[in-house]
Amino acid sequence: MEDDLDCGDCLERLYAYLDRELAPKESSAVRTHLDECVGCEDNFAVEERFLKLVRDCCTEDVAPNELRNRIVTRLRTEGGAPR
Amino acid sequence: MPDDPFESQALSFLDALYRTALRMTRSESDAEDLVQETYIRAFRFRDQFTPGTNLKAWLFRILTNTFINQYRRRAARPNETELDDVEESILYRQMRDVNPGAASPDPEAALLDGTLSSEVKEALEALPEKFRTTVLLDVEGFSYKEIAELLDIPIGTVMSRLHRGRRFLQKRLYDHARERGIVAARAMPRPAD
Repeated sequence: MEDDLDCGDCLERLYAYLDRELAPKESSAVRTHLDECVGCEDNFAVEERFLKLVRDCCTEDVAPNELRNRIVTRLRTEGGAPR
Repeated sequence: MPDDPFESQALSFLDALYRTALRMTRSESDAEDLVQETYIRAFRFRDQFTPGTNLKAWLFRILTNTFINQYRRRAARPNETELDDVEESILYRQMRDVNPGAASPDPEAALLDGTLSSEVKEALEALPEKFRTTVLLDVEGFSYKEIAELLDIPIGTVMSRLHRGRRFLQKRLYDHARERGIVAARAMPRPAD
């Protein structure tokens, strides 16, 4: 049943597919459609780039060293022991 | 206990917790306080963590619960609980509506290439809280199921919040791009009334 998705079926599954949340068989059916449909392939590629942009921008920040040191100090002085 | 494995494993998620807290609180000092409180609670209740299970998810649950209990009121902005007016058109449709036959053969690429990291972060921080938290947990690599468990919401709600949150981000980034002249401003796409 899932072997023959149309463009609308694929669009409904766009994010679940890009988020790798589809079952293998369903994901494979989307892939098959994308291989045969330039329009959907383009659309999925744009959305994939958008998700990567958000992910890359959001994961570039790092915690200040001072915060790390402060946490370690507090854990070892007052918070480190299990209750 | 310098060689405490729980401590070293927990601290390996410091950057992820901090950047998530930064987007949640929209304040460096509040983010630092939130993360520090998260670690103190994690260590206080470390006997409740089952070794071999997902420590990252456990820490993020403490982070989100602490945020909800202590910081939400301060971080909230008026009228930000819903996304009623977000257009349902998605990025590529929006681009095609506005750029039919435009000079750039690939307006989506122009938008995505020209978007600044600061604009993405600003757009995220403008998201209403429940959508923002869901998107942030997705960015940190949690599955729909894990996000549902972290926030105590159904998986369908996770999917809906991700869908609508991403649409909001796209519209915001698109509007920024128009203002900066990265994409043509020939027409303003409006939702169908």
